[in-house]
Amino acid sequence: MPLNPAVKLKAQVFASRYMPFLKIRPPEMDRSGALTLRPGRNALLTWETKEEGKTMLTVPLDMNKGGKLTRLLAKWMRAPSERYVELDEVGGFVWELCDGNHTVETIVQKTGKEYKMNRREAEVSVTMFLQMLHEKNYIGFYKKVRKS
Amino acid sequence: MQKGATASDREAQTALPARTVVGWQGVRFTLPPEWNVTAFSLDRDNGYVRVDSPGSGAMSVQVRWTDASKEVKGPPTPYYLLAPYFRRLLKRPPPPVTKTDLRQSLEKILKDAAKDAKKSHAVFDSQMKSEKTEGENGERSSISFTWTGAGRGQGKIWRCDTCNRVVVSQVIGLSKDHNAIGNVASQLFATFQDHTIDGYDLWALYDLQAAVPSTFRLTAHKLMSGHLQLVFMRGAERIIIDRWGLANVTLKKFKLDEWFLTNSAIKSANMVRTSTTAFGGHEFISFEGALPVSGRMAAVRDAKGSMRGLPTRYSGGVWHCAETNKLFSIQVFHSRKTEKLIENILERCKCH
Repeated sequence: MPLNPAVKLKAQVFASRYMPFLKIRPPEMDRSGALTLRPGRNALLTWETKEEGKTMLTVPLDMNKGGKLTRLLAKWMRAPSERYVELDEVGGFVWELCDGNHTVETIVQKTGKEYKMNRREAEVSVTMFLQMLHEKNYIGFYKKVRKS
Repeated sequence: MQKGATASDREAQTALPARTVVGWQGVRFTLPPEWNVTAFSLDRDNGYVRVDSPGSGAMSVQVRWTDASKEVKGPPTPYYLLAPYFRRLLKRPPPPVTKTDLRQSLEKILKDAAKDAKKSHAVFDSQMKSEKTEGENGERSSISFTWTGAGRGQGKIWRCDTCNRVVVSQVIGLSKDHNAIGNVASQLFATFQDHTIDGYDLWALYDLQAAVPSTFRLTAHKLMSGHLQLVFMRGAERIIIDRWGLANVTLKKFKLDEWFLTNSAIKSANMVRTSTTAFGGHEFISFEGALPVSGRMAAVRDAKGSMRGLPTRYSGGVWHCAETNKLFSIQVFHSRKTEKLIENILERCKCH
């Protein structure tokens, strides 16, 4: 009897995450699937928009990271507890849209429309930028799941 | 629009431009809006262009061409290497090139499609129509074909007696896209041109439309998100065409002429701002100057030692197209004989 595809997918995700010895790869997402994801900002980050259109992100640093000596040295040398990341105008525009309500597709369309970019160019640059933000843990991706 | 789209998703629906013009290595055609070039070859004699539909890119247009007037290259034996020189020395005409058998070439293409169908366990079927003559002066002999297998394809193969090119172009899509493939194919074949009439090749992709003399060859390109650059050479003469996106962001920081001078291919104190002319409703800021000796030497080096058309002058210019929010620039390294080159290119450019 064939397995329900939804159950099969869940099992695959579970096995890839919690049973690494099985060497099952997590399911790959195709392009259309990736465009339906909703990026949302990391709640620990704060940001402000400057007059020139730039956006300044404040990223808190983990002060409890490292050994005792590292922490002591960091305290003694007054290491900064946060880091600042400046986004340009386009980056700031995309950042504002990362509120968990807009899909990647919508962000691509809005950015393309705002800056009069070709659809493909907008898609490439926005997805690359979102990927970079995700790698730095500034954003996460949500998937809207329908309640059955 | 996907199911479950919110109001903001629907709001982002944009107005579509009229159509997409594609121009590459002398071939040009028109497709529905938002189609984009995704693959191409730099070779002019045996070329390839692929244009994908927007969205999932399930449909694509593939165009392949070969120069039928060129001899089929054999192994590099002494005969093949020396024969052209002796022919020229003895003033003998080159051997007649046998005309390409279209039907045979087409059978080869369909055979490859059948192989793909076999791999995906699909039933392959193809149809070929009889050869017919078409074109304004009856210069084309063509065969139309369709196939179904691992998808569906509708195309045409033809030989043009004017440019001696054999062109195969086809629209490929999913089996269910029967009508859409037909519509795109009819638009493609109705607008397809395989050679130029005025001696200028159209280069059109990603909102850039520029025409360059057919004697220039594409030698380098940059295709980045936000920046597109095409570099053409004829001997030591060089044309550089750039298209930059996000002009409104750039122009907040710089003035147009300042920005051009920092991004131009040559940094020289000899460059003088010559004029500001109106071009298509935009302000075209142009610069001119004599090439310094180092620039001339660099031009010869880039041309692999060729002194043909040794550039002694530089002409360049930039304009901002507010309609498309882009900056366009043309730079020409030319000799005194080709003073008007930049003007000729400029009057054939289209930005919106």
